[in-house]
Amino acid sequence: MWQFMLSAGRAGLRSRSIQSILILGALLMGVAYLSASFSPRQPQTVALDVGLSGLRITLILFSLFWVQELVAREIERRTVLFSLTYPVPRGRYIVGRYLGVLGLLALAALLLGLLLWVVVLGLGKGYAQGFSVVLGLPYWSTVAGLWIDAAVVAAFALWVSTFSTVPMLPLALGLAFAVGGKSLGAVAEYLARGADGDQALMRLAPVIEAIQWVLPDLSRLDFRAWPMYDLAPASQAVELGLLMAASYVALLLTLAVMTFTCRDFE
Amino acid sequence: MTSLRKQWPVAIMAVLLALTFAAITQRLKSAPRQMVVVEMQVALPLFVQVFLAMGDRYLAANIAAIRALVVSTEKMKPEDYAILGKVQKDVSWLNPAHEDNYYIAFAILPQYGEVDATQTILARASRVRFFDYQPAFFYGFNQWYYKHDPAGAAAWMREAALKLPDPDQQLTMQNMAARWADKAQDTELAIRIVEAMVKEARRKDFRVYLEQRVARLRQLQQLKMAAESYHERFGAPVPNLQELVNSGILPALPQDPFGFGFGFDRQGNIALRTSPPPS
Repeated sequence: MWQFMLSAGRAGLRSRSIQSILILGALLMGVAYLSASFSPRQPQTVALDVGLSGLRITLILFSLFWVQELVAREIERRTVLFSLTYPVPRGRYIVGRYLGVLGLLALAALLLGLLLWVVVLGLGKGYAQGFSVVLGLPYWSTVAGLWIDAAVVAAFALWVSTFSTVPMLPLALGLAFAVGGKSLGAVAEYLARGADGDQALMRLAPVIEAIQWVLPDLSRLDFRAWPMYDLAPASQAVELGLLMAASYVALLLTLAVMTFTCRDFE
Repeated sequence: MTSLRKQWPVAIMAVLLALTFAAITQRLKSAPRQMVVVEMQVALPLFVQVFLAMGDRYLAANIAAIRALVVSTEKMKPEDYAILGKVQKDVSWLNPAHEDNYYIAFAILPQYGEVDATQTILARASRVRFFDYQPAFFYGFNQWYYKHDPAGAAAWMREAALKLPDPDQQLTMQNMAARWADKAQDTELAIRIVEAMVKEARRKDFRVYLEQRVARLRQLQQLKMAAESYHERFGAPVPNLQELVNSGILPALPQDPFGFGFGFDRQGNIALRTSPPPS
Protein backbone atom coordinates (compact mmCIF):
# COMPACT_ATOMS: atom_id res chain seq x y z
CA MET A 1 0.00 0.00 0.00
CA TRP A 2 2.82 2.37 0.91
CA GLN A 3 4.45 1.65 -2.43
CA PHE A 4 1.26 2.67 -4.23
CA MET A 5 1.11 5.82 -2.09
CA LEU A 6 4.74 6.73 -2.75
CA SER A 7 4.41 6.06 -6.48
CA ALA A 8 1.34 8.31 -6.52
CA GLY A 9 3.32 11.03 -4.75
CA ARG A 10 6.26 10.67 -7.13
CA ALA A 11 4.00 10.67 -10.17
CA GLY A 12 2.21 13.74 -8.87
CA LEU A 13 5.46 15.57 -8.24
CA ARG A 14 6.94 14.51 -11.59
CA SER A 15 3.93 15.84 -13.42
CA ARG A 16 3.68 19.52 -14.03
CA SER A 17 1.33 19.90 -11.13
CA ILE A 18 3.88 21.62 -8.90
CA GLN A 19 4.44 24.24 -11.59
CA SER A 20 0.70 24.63 -11.88
CA ILE A 21 0.50 25.14 -8.11
CA LEU A 22 3.02 27.93 -8.30
CA ILE A 23 1.26 29.59 -11.25
CA LEU A 24 -2.12 29.27 -9.57
CA GLY A 25 -0.57 30.50 -6.34
CA ALA A 26 0.75 33.60 -8.09
CA LEU A 27 -2.70 34.18 -9.61
CA LEU A 28 -4.28 33.69 -6.21
CA MET A 29 -1.95 36.29 -4.71
CA GLY A 30 -2.84 38.71 -7.47
CA VAL A 31 -6.60 38.22 -7.11
CA ALA A 32 -6.45 38.46 -3.30
CA TYR A 33 -4.26 41.57 -3.51
CA LEU A 34 -6.55 43.25 -6.06
CA SER A 35 -9.70 42.39 -4.14
CA ALA A 36 -8.24 44.19 -1.11
CA SER A 37 -8.20 47.41 -3.09
CA PHE A 38 -12.02 47.22 -3.31
CA SER A 39 -12.36 47.41 0.45
CA PRO A 40 -12.42 50.84 2.10
CA ARG A 41 -12.24 49.58 5.69
CA GLN A 42 -10.99 45.99 5.86
CA PRO A 43 -8.54 45.27 3.00
CA GLN A 44 -6.74 42.49 4.86
CA THR A 45 -10.01 40.74 5.74
CA VAL A 46 -11.29 40.91 2.16
CA ALA A 47 -7.93 39.69 0.77
CA LEU A 48 -7.97 36.81 3.24
CA ASP A 49 -11.61 36.00 2.44
CA VAL A 50 -11.13 36.00 -1.33
CA GLY A 51 -7.78 34.21 -0.96
CA LEU A 52 -9.36 31.41 1.09
CA SER A 53 -12.11 31.04 -1.53
CA GLY A 54 -9.39 30.81 -4.19
CA LEU A 55 -7.50 28.29 -2.10
CA ARG A 56 -10.59 26.12 -1.75
CA ILE A 57 -11.33 26.20 -5.48
CA THR A 58 -7.69 25.40 -6.30
CA LEU A 59 -7.52 22.48 -3.85
CA ILE A 60 -10.77 21.04 -5.22
CA LEU A 61 -9.47 21.28 -8.79
CA PHE A 62 -6.18 19.68 -7.78
CA SER A 63 -7.90 16.84 -5.94
CA LEU A 64 -10.01 16.06 -9.01
CA PHE A 65 -7.04 16.44 -11.36
CA TRP A 66 -4.84 14.11 -9.32
CA VAL A 67 -7.53 11.44 -8.91
CA GLN A 68 -8.14 11.65 -12.65
CA GLU A 69 -4.43 11.48 -13.42
CA LEU A 70 -3.36 8.83 -10.92
CA VAL A 71 -6.37 6.49 -10.91
CA ALA A 72 -8.99 7.15 -13.60
CA ARG A 73 -6.49 7.47 -16.42
CA GLU A 74 -4.55 4.37 -15.30
CA ILE A 75 -7.80 2.41 -15.43
CA GLU A 76 -8.69 3.88 -18.79
CA ARG A 77 -5.31 3.05 -20.32
CA ARG A 78 -5.22 -0.33 -18.57
CA THR A 79 -1.78 0.53 -17.07
CA VAL A 80 -3.43 -0.23 -13.75
CA LEU A 81 -3.04 -3.91 -14.64
CA PHE A 82 0.76 -3.64 -14.07
CA SER A 83 0.12 -2.53 -10.50
CA LEU A 84 -2.43 -5.27 -9.97
CA THR A 85 0.07 -7.98 -10.88
CA TYR A 86 1.62 -7.56 -7.40
CA PRO A 87 0.41 -10.22 -4.97
CA VAL A 88 -1.53 -7.77 -2.83
CA PRO A 89 -5.26 -7.14 -2.49
CA ARG A 90 -6.67 -4.60 -4.95
CA GLY A 91 -7.96 -2.48 -2.09
CA ARG A 92 -4.41 -1.53 -1.14
CA TYR A 93 -3.92 0.06 -4.53
CA ILE A 94 -7.01 2.27 -3.98
CA VAL A 95 -6.10 3.24 -0.41
CA GLY A 96 -2.45 3.82 -1.35
CA ARG A 97 -3.40 6.05 -4.24
CA TYR A 98 -5.81 7.98 -2.03
CA LEU A 99 -3.14 8.56 0.61
CA GLY A 100 -0.79 9.73 -2.14
CA VAL A 101 -3.37 12.28 -3.32
CA LEU A 102 -3.88 13.41 0.30
CA GLY A 103 -0.14 14.02 0.64
CA LEU A 104 -0.01 16.01 -2.57
CA LEU A 105 -3.04 18.04 -1.46
CA ALA A 106 -1.38 18.76 1.89
CA LEU A 107 1.71 20.03 0.08
CA ALA A 108 -0.42 22.25 -2.18
CA ALA A 109 -2.40 23.57 0.81
CA LEU A 110 0.80 24.39 2.65
CA LEU A 111 2.41 26.18 -0.30
CA LEU A 112 -0.70 28.16 -1.26
CA GLY A 113 -1.48 28.87 2.38
CA LEU A 114 2.00 30.31 2.85
CA LEU A 115 1.66 32.49 -0.25
CA LEU A 116 -1.69 33.86 0.92
CA TRP A 117 -0.30 34.41 4.40
CA VAL A 118 2.52 36.55 2.95
CA VAL A 119 0.07 38.59 0.85
CA VAL A 120 -2.27 39.30 3.78
CA LEU A 121 0.64 40.18 6.06
CA GLY A 122 2.03 42.51 3.39
CA LEU A 123 -1.30 44.33 3.03
CA GLY A 124 -1.30 45.05 6.76
CA LYS A 125 1.72 47.31 6.40
CA GLY A 126 -0.08 49.92 4.33
CA TYR A 127 -3.24 50.39 6.40
CA ALA A 128 -4.08 49.34 9.95
CA GLN A 129 -7.73 48.31 9.89
CA GLY A 130 -9.93 48.69 12.96
CA PHE A 131 -10.27 44.97 13.60
CA SER A 132 -7.22 42.99 12.56
CA VAL A 133 -7.18 39.49 11.10
CA VAL A 134 -5.81 36.56 13.15
CA LEU A 135 -3.10 34.79 11.18
CA GLY A 136 -1.90 32.23 13.74
CA LEU A 137 -3.71 29.05 14.74
CA PRO A 138 -7.11 30.26 13.41
CA TYR A 139 -5.64 30.78 9.94
CA TRP A 140 -3.87 27.42 9.72
CA SER A 141 -6.92 25.65 11.17
CA THR A 142 -8.96 27.14 8.33
CA VAL A 143 -6.40 25.96 5.75
CA ALA A 144 -6.54 22.49 7.34
CA GLY A 145 -10.35 22.57 7.11
CA LEU A 146 -10.14 23.34 3.39
CA TRP A 147 -7.67 20.48 2.96
CA ILE A 148 -10.15 18.09 4.63
CA ASP A 149 -12.88 19.49 2.35
CA ALA A 150 -10.72 18.62 -0.70
CA ALA A 151 -9.97 15.20 0.81
CA VAL A 152 -13.72 14.40 0.93
CA VAL A 153 -14.11 15.49 -2.70
CA ALA A 154 -11.07 13.37 -3.67
CA ALA A 155 -12.61 10.32 -1.96
CA PHE A 156 -15.84 10.83 -3.90
CA ALA A 157 -14.02 11.21 -7.23
CA LEU A 158 -11.95 8.12 -6.42
CA TRP A 159 -15.07 6.06 -5.77
CA VAL A 160 -16.63 7.24 -9.05
CA SER A 161 -13.43 6.37 -10.93
CA THR A 162 -13.63 2.75 -9.70
CA PHE A 163 -16.83 2.08 -11.62
CA SER A 164 -16.72 4.73 -14.32
CA THR A 165 -16.23 3.69 -17.91
CA VAL A 166 -16.36 7.28 -19.16
CA PRO A 167 -12.97 9.02 -18.74
CA MET A 168 -14.24 12.46 -17.62
CA LEU A 169 -17.02 11.20 -15.33
CA PRO A 170 -15.02 11.38 -12.03
CA LEU A 171 -14.01 14.95 -12.87
CA ALA A 172 -17.53 16.10 -13.78
CA LEU A 173 -19.33 14.31 -10.93
CA GLY A 174 -16.59 15.33 -8.48
CA LEU A 175 -17.05 18.98 -9.39
CA ALA A 176 -20.83 18.73 -9.02
CA PHE A 177 -20.33 17.00 -5.66
CA ALA A 178 -17.95 19.77 -4.47
CA VAL A 179 -20.37 22.56 -5.46
CA GLY A 180 -23.44 20.73 -4.13
CA GLY A 181 -21.81 19.79 -0.83
CA LYS A 182 -20.54 23.31 -0.25
CA SER A 183 -23.89 24.92 -1.19
CA LEU A 184 -25.88 22.57 1.00
CA GLY A 185 -25.25 24.43 4.26
CA ALA A 186 -26.32 27.83 2.91
CA VAL A 187 -29.41 26.41 1.18
CA ALA A 188 -30.50 24.38 4.23
CA GLU A 189 -30.04 27.39 6.51
CA TYR A 190 -32.02 29.65 4.18
CA LEU A 191 -34.91 27.18 4.08
CA ALA A 192 -34.74 26.57 7.83
CA ARG A 193 -35.25 30.33 8.35
CA GLY A 194 -38.33 30.36 6.16
CA ALA A 195 -36.76 31.41 2.80
CA ASP A 196 -37.95 35.01 3.31
CA GLY A 197 -41.54 33.77 3.09
CA ASP A 198 -41.11 32.27 -0.39
CA GLN A 199 -43.59 29.38 -0.36
CA ALA A 200 -42.42 28.01 -3.72
CA LEU A 201 -38.90 27.60 -2.34
CA MET A 202 -40.17 26.16 0.91
CA ARG A 203 -41.59 23.24 -1.08
CA LEU A 204 -37.95 22.26 -1.68
CA ALA A 205 -37.31 21.87 2.05
CA PRO A 206 -38.14 18.11 2.18
CA VAL A 207 -35.92 17.54 -0.88
CA ILE A 208 -32.98 19.34 0.76
CA GLU A 209 -33.67 17.43 3.98
CA ALA A 210 -33.49 14.15 2.03
CA ILE A 211 -30.31 15.19 0.18
CA GLN A 212 -28.55 15.69 3.51
CA TRP A 213 -28.77 11.93 4.08
CA VAL A 214 -26.43 11.27 1.16
CA LEU A 215 -24.49 14.51 0.62
CA PRO A 216 -22.18 15.87 3.34
CA ASP A 217 -22.46 19.54 4.33
CA LEU A 218 -18.96 20.66 3.32
CA SER A 219 -19.57 24.21 4.55
CA ARG A 220 -19.13 22.76 8.06
CA LEU A 221 -15.42 22.45 7.26
CA ASP A 222 -15.05 26.17 6.55
CA PHE A 223 -13.82 28.00 9.66
CA ARG A 224 -12.81 31.28 8.03
CA ALA A 225 -14.85 33.50 10.35
CA TRP A 226 -12.20 32.62 12.94
CA PRO A 227 -9.15 34.23 11.25
CA MET A 228 -11.28 36.97 9.62
CA TYR A 229 -13.27 38.19 12.62
CA ASP A 230 -11.80 36.23 15.53
CA LEU A 231 -15.11 34.37 15.83
CA ALA A 232 -14.00 30.94 17.00
CA PRO A 233 -16.33 28.11 15.91
CA ALA A 234 -18.13 26.08 18.57
CA SER A 235 -15.94 23.11 19.48
CA GLN A 236 -18.90 20.72 19.20
CA ALA A 237 -19.63 21.88 15.65
CA VAL A 238 -15.96 21.43 14.69
CA GLU A 239 -15.75 17.97 16.21
CA LEU A 240 -18.97 16.82 14.57
CA GLY A 241 -17.90 18.33 11.23
CA LEU A 242 -14.58 16.48 11.34
CA LEU A 243 -16.29 13.24 12.35
CA MET A 244 -18.77 13.65 9.50
CA ALA A 245 -15.91 14.12 7.01
CA ALA A 246 -13.92 11.18 8.38
CA SER A 247 -16.87 8.79 8.36
CA TYR A 248 -17.90 9.87 4.85
CA VAL A 249 -14.36 9.41 3.52
CA ALA A 250 -14.15 5.98 5.19
CA LEU A 251 -17.49 4.99 3.67
CA LEU A 252 -16.47 6.14 0.18
CA LEU A 253 -13.10 4.38 0.41
CA THR A 254 -14.84 1.17 1.50
CA LEU A 255 -17.25 1.43 -1.42
CA ALA A 256 -14.34 2.20 -3.76
CA VAL A 257 -12.40 -0.86 -2.55
CA MET A 258 -15.48 -3.07 -2.99
CA THR A 259 -16.22 -1.80 -6.50
CA PHE A 260 -12.60 -1.96 -7.59
CA THR A 261 -12.16 -5.49 -6.23
CA CYS A 262 -15.19 -6.73 -8.18
CA ARG A 263 -14.31 -4.87 -11.37
CA ASP A 264 -13.52 -6.98 -14.39
CA PHE A 265 -10.77 -5.44 -16.51
CA GLU A 266 -10.92 -8.02 -19.31
CA MET B 1 -2.44 28.58 -63.48
CA THR B 2 -4.50 25.79 -64.90
CA SER B 3 -5.79 24.80 -61.52
CA LEU B 4 -6.72 28.42 -60.72
CA ARG B 5 -8.64 28.72 -63.95
CA LYS B 6 -10.57 25.62 -63.04
CA GLN B 7 -11.50 27.11 -59.71
CA TRP B 8 -12.92 30.41 -60.99
CA PRO B 9 -16.45 29.72 -59.70
CA VAL B 10 -15.04 29.35 -56.16
CA ALA B 11 -12.96 32.52 -56.57
CA ILE B 12 -16.05 34.44 -57.72
CA MET B 13 -17.92 33.09 -54.71
CA ALA B 14 -15.10 34.27 -52.43
CA VAL B 15 -15.16 37.75 -53.94
CA LEU B 16 -18.95 37.92 -53.57
CA LEU B 17 -18.72 36.85 -49.94
CA ALA B 18 -16.02 39.46 -49.27
CA LEU B 19 -18.21 42.17 -50.82
CA THR B 20 -21.21 40.99 -48.79
CA PHE B 21 -19.13 41.11 -45.59
CA ALA B 22 -17.86 44.63 -46.39
CA ALA B 23 -21.39 45.88 -47.16
CA ILE B 24 -22.83 44.39 -43.97
CA THR B 25 -20.00 45.84 -41.88
CA GLN B 26 -20.76 49.31 -43.24
CA ARG B 27 -24.48 48.93 -42.54
CA LEU B 28 -23.76 47.61 -39.06
CA LYS B 29 -21.78 50.73 -38.13
CA SER B 30 -24.91 52.85 -38.34
CA ALA B 31 -27.13 50.35 -36.49
CA PRO B 32 -27.88 51.46 -32.89
CA ARG B 33 -26.08 49.57 -30.16
CA GLN B 34 -28.00 48.08 -27.28
CA MET B 35 -27.23 50.18 -24.23
CA VAL B 36 -25.67 48.18 -21.44
CA VAL B 37 -26.60 49.73 -18.11
CA VAL B 38 -24.03 48.75 -15.54
CA GLU B 39 -25.79 50.13 -12.49
CA MET B 40 -27.96 48.19 -10.08
CA GLN B 41 -30.84 46.67 -12.02
CA VAL B 42 -30.70 43.02 -11.08
CA ALA B 43 -30.49 41.16 -7.80
CA LEU B 44 -29.93 37.45 -8.33
CA PRO B 45 -31.70 34.97 -6.04
CA LEU B 46 -29.57 33.83 -3.12
CA PHE B 47 -29.43 30.23 -4.38
CA VAL B 48 -28.08 31.37 -7.73
CA GLN B 49 -25.45 33.56 -6.11
CA VAL B 50 -24.21 30.68 -3.96
CA PHE B 51 -24.09 28.22 -6.88
CA LEU B 52 -22.28 30.73 -9.10
CA ALA B 53 -19.63 31.04 -6.38
CA MET B 54 -19.12 27.24 -6.45
CA GLY B 55 -21.16 26.88 -3.29
CA ASP B 56 -18.91 29.27 -1.35
CA ARG B 57 -21.21 31.72 0.50
CA TYR B 58 -18.27 33.93 1.53
CA LEU B 59 -17.17 34.30 -2.08
CA ALA B 60 -20.76 35.06 -3.12
CA ALA B 61 -20.87 37.73 -0.39
CA ASN B 62 -17.63 39.30 -1.58
CA ILE B 63 -18.72 39.40 -5.22
CA ALA B 64 -22.01 41.11 -4.28
CA ALA B 65 -20.27 43.48 -1.84
CA ILE B 66 -17.74 44.55 -4.46
CA ARG B 67 -20.65 45.08 -6.86
CA ALA B 68 -22.30 47.35 -4.32
CA LEU B 69 -19.04 49.17 -3.66
CA VAL B 70 -18.21 49.99 -7.27
CA VAL B 71 -21.70 51.11 -8.23
CA SER B 72 -21.91 54.69 -9.37
CA THR B 73 -24.71 56.16 -7.23
CA GLU B 74 -24.96 59.43 -9.13
CA LYS B 75 -26.19 57.49 -12.18
CA MET B 76 -28.75 55.48 -10.26
CA LYS B 77 -32.50 56.04 -10.46
CA PRO B 78 -34.62 55.95 -7.27
CA GLU B 79 -35.91 52.45 -8.09
CA ASP B 80 -32.34 51.16 -8.42
CA TYR B 81 -31.74 51.77 -4.71
CA ALA B 82 -34.30 49.10 -3.86
CA ILE B 83 -32.14 46.64 -5.87
CA LEU B 84 -29.00 47.91 -4.13
CA GLY B 85 -30.76 47.37 -0.80
CA LYS B 86 -31.65 43.81 -1.83
CA VAL B 87 -28.09 43.07 -2.97
CA GLN B 88 -26.64 44.38 0.29
CA LYS B 89 -29.24 42.54 2.35
CA ASP B 90 -28.20 39.35 0.55
CA VAL B 91 -24.55 40.07 1.42
CA SER B 92 -25.53 40.45 5.07
CA TRP B 93 -27.26 37.07 4.93
CA LEU B 94 -24.32 35.37 3.24
CA ASN B 95 -21.77 36.95 5.57
CA PRO B 96 -23.40 39.09 8.29
CA ALA B 97 -20.00 40.15 9.65
CA HIS B 98 -18.95 41.88 6.39
CA GLU B 99 -17.71 45.29 7.58
CA ASP B 100 -17.71 47.15 4.26
CA ASN B 101 -21.25 46.01 3.59
CA TYR B 102 -22.85 47.41 6.74
CA TYR B 103 -20.76 50.57 6.52
CA ILE B 104 -21.71 51.50 2.96
CA ALA B 105 -25.31 50.42 3.57
CA PHE B 106 -25.50 52.95 6.39
CA ALA B 107 -23.76 55.60 4.28
CA ILE B 108 -25.96 55.26 1.19
CA LEU B 109 -29.25 53.45 1.61
CA PRO B 110 -31.25 55.34 4.29
CA GLN B 111 -31.11 58.67 2.49
CA TYR B 112 -32.76 57.01 -0.53
CA GLY B 113 -35.61 55.48 1.45
CA GLU B 114 -34.10 52.05 2.06
CA VAL B 115 -34.16 52.39 5.84
CA ASP B 116 -35.67 48.96 6.51
CA ALA B 117 -33.03 47.19 4.41
CA THR B 118 -30.30 49.14 6.21
CA GLN B 119 -31.70 48.25 9.61
CA THR B 120 -31.80 44.56 8.67
CA ILE B 121 -28.16 44.70 7.56
CA LEU B 122 -27.09 46.58 10.70
CA ALA B 123 -29.04 44.29 13.04
CA ARG B 124 -27.44 41.19 11.48
CA ALA B 125 -23.96 42.77 11.71
CA SER B 126 -24.52 43.81 15.32
CA ARG B 127 -25.57 40.27 16.30
CA VAL B 128 -22.40 38.70 14.89
CA ARG B 129 -19.85 41.46 15.48
CA PHE B 130 -20.03 41.45 19.26
CA PHE B 131 -16.71 43.32 19.36
CA ASP B 132 -17.86 46.23 17.14
CA TYR B 133 -20.05 49.03 18.52
CA GLN B 134 -20.71 50.68 15.16
CA PRO B 135 -23.56 48.57 13.72
CA ALA B 136 -25.63 49.08 16.89
CA PHE B 137 -24.71 52.78 16.98
CA PHE B 138 -25.74 53.26 13.33
CA TYR B 139 -28.94 51.32 13.95
CA GLY B 140 -29.76 53.59 16.88
CA PHE B 141 -29.06 56.67 14.81
CA ASN B 142 -31.39 55.51 12.03
CA GLN B 143 -34.09 54.71 14.56
CA TRP B 144 -33.76 58.23 15.90
CA TYR B 145 -33.34 60.19 12.69
CA TYR B 146 -35.38 58.28 10.11
CA LYS B 147 -37.85 56.27 12.18
CA HIS B 148 -38.49 58.97 14.83
CA ASP B 149 -38.37 56.32 17.52
CA PRO B 150 -36.35 57.76 20.44
CA ALA B 151 -37.08 54.83 22.75
CA GLY B 152 -35.84 52.27 20.19
CA ALA B 153 -32.84 54.45 19.38
CA ALA B 154 -31.91 54.72 23.05
CA ALA B 155 -32.09 50.94 23.47
CA TRP B 156 -29.67 50.40 20.53
CA MET B 157 -27.34 53.11 21.80
CA ARG B 158 -27.14 51.30 25.11
CA GLU B 159 -26.27 48.11 23.26
CA ALA B 160 -23.58 49.97 21.32
CA ALA B 161 -22.18 51.47 24.55
CA LEU B 162 -21.68 47.99 26.01
CA LYS B 163 -19.42 47.11 23.08
CA LEU B 164 -17.09 50.08 23.59
CA PRO B 165 -13.77 49.19 25.23
CA ASP B 166 -13.19 52.59 26.89
CA PRO B 167 -15.33 53.28 30.04
CA ASP B 168 -15.38 57.03 29.31
CA GLN B 169 -16.67 56.45 25.79
CA GLN B 170 -19.25 54.05 27.21
CA LEU B 171 -20.39 56.78 29.55
CA THR B 172 -20.71 59.33 26.74
CA MET B 173 -22.80 56.98 24.67
CA GLN B 174 -25.00 55.96 27.59
CA ASN B 175 -25.58 59.65 28.28
CA MET B 176 -26.64 60.11 24.66
CA ALA B 177 -29.01 57.14 25.04
CA ALA B 178 -30.52 58.70 28.16
CA ARG B 179 -31.04 62.03 26.39
CA TRP B 180 -32.70 60.32 23.46
CA ALA B 181 -34.94 58.37 25.81
CA ASP B 182 -36.13 61.73 27.20
CA LYS B 183 -37.54 62.54 23.78
CA ALA B 184 -39.86 59.54 23.70
CA GLN B 185 -43.54 60.51 23.47
CA ASP B 186 -44.39 57.74 25.88
CA THR B 187 -43.01 59.22 29.10
CA GLU B 188 -43.65 56.07 31.13
CA LEU B 189 -41.57 54.07 28.60
CA ALA B 190 -38.78 56.66 28.76
CA ILE B 191 -38.77 56.41 32.55
CA ARG B 192 -38.49 52.62 32.40
CA ILE B 193 -35.60 52.82 29.91
CA VAL B 194 -33.59 55.24 32.05
CA GLU B 195 -34.38 53.27 35.21
CA ALA B 196 -32.99 50.15 33.49
CA MET B 197 -29.87 52.16 32.71
CA VAL B 198 -29.56 53.14 36.36
CA LYS B 199 -29.45 49.47 37.29
CA GLU B 200 -26.72 48.79 34.70
CA ALA B 201 -24.57 51.85 35.56
CA ARG B 202 -21.28 50.86 37.21
CA ARG B 203 -19.99 54.32 38.12
CA LYS B 204 -21.69 55.99 41.04
CA ASP B 205 -21.58 59.53 39.61
CA PHE B 206 -23.20 58.36 36.39
CA ARG B 207 -25.86 56.47 38.35
CA VAL B 208 -26.70 59.66 40.28
CA TYR B 209 -26.90 61.57 37.00
CA LEU B 210 -29.30 58.99 35.57
CA GLU B 211 -31.42 59.06 38.73
CA GLN B 212 -31.79 62.81 38.24
CA ARG B 213 -32.94 62.12 34.70
CA VAL B 214 -35.56 59.70 36.03
CA ALA B 215 -36.72 62.33 38.53
CA ARG B 216 -36.95 64.86 35.73
CA LEU B 217 -39.02 62.50 33.59
CA ARG B 218 -41.36 61.84 36.51
CA GLN B 219 -41.84 65.60 36.88
CA LEU B 220 -42.63 65.81 33.18
CA GLN B 221 -45.16 63.02 33.58
CA GLN B 222 -46.74 64.88 36.51
CA LEU B 223 -46.99 68.07 34.43
CA LYS B 224 -48.56 66.22 31.48
CA MET B 225 -51.19 64.66 33.72
CA ALA B 226 -51.93 68.04 35.26
CA ALA B 227 -52.29 69.56 31.78
CA GLU B 228 -54.80 66.85 30.87
CA SER B 229 -56.81 67.64 34.02
CA TYR B 230 -56.73 71.32 33.09
CA HIS B 231 -58.02 70.54 29.60
CA GLU B 232 -60.85 68.42 30.99
CA ARG B 233 -61.86 71.09 33.53
CA PHE B 234 -61.63 74.21 31.36
CA GLY B 235 -62.12 72.75 27.88
CA ALA B 236 -58.95 74.40 26.53
CA PRO B 237 -55.25 73.59 26.61
CA VAL B 238 -53.21 75.15 29.39
CA PRO B 239 -51.73 78.47 28.12
CA ASN B 240 -48.64 78.35 30.35
CA LEU B 241 -47.28 76.17 33.12
CA GLN B 242 -47.90 78.70 35.92
CA GLU B 243 -51.63 78.41 35.12
CA LEU B 244 -51.53 74.82 36.45
CA VAL B 245 -50.62 76.27 39.87
CA ASN B 246 -53.01 79.25 39.64
CA SER B 247 -55.93 76.93 38.84
CA GLY B 248 -55.13 74.81 41.92
CA ILE B 249 -54.33 71.63 39.99
CA LEU B 250 -50.71 71.63 41.16
CA PRO B 251 -49.51 73.01 44.53
CA ALA B 252 -46.26 74.22 42.91
CA LEU B 253 -44.26 73.73 39.74
CA PRO B 254 -41.72 70.89 40.02
CA GLN B 255 -38.08 71.90 40.46
CA ASP B 256 -36.02 70.41 37.63
CA PRO B 257 -32.81 68.94 39.14
CA PHE B 258 -30.90 70.12 36.03
CA GLY B 259 -32.28 73.65 36.34
CA PHE B 260 -33.45 73.77 32.70
CA GLY B 261 -37.14 73.49 33.54
CA PHE B 262 -40.04 72.63 31.27
CA GLY B 263 -41.64 74.28 28.26
CA PHE B 264 -43.80 73.57 25.22
CA ASP B 265 -42.70 71.93 21.96
CA ARG B 266 -43.86 72.99 18.48
CA GLN B 267 -46.96 70.85 18.75
CA GLY B 268 -47.94 72.54 22.02
CA ASN B 269 -47.09 69.54 24.21
CA ILE B 270 -45.22 69.95 27.49
CA ALA B 271 -41.59 68.97 26.98
CA LEU B 272 -38.23 68.98 28.73
CA ARG B 273 -36.10 72.04 28.10
CA THR B 274 -32.59 71.25 26.87
CA SER B 275 -31.03 74.56 27.94
CA PRO B 276 -31.53 77.01 30.80
CA PRO B 277 -34.45 79.43 30.36
CA PRO B 278 -33.50 82.96 29.18
CA SER B 279 -32.96 85.20 32.19
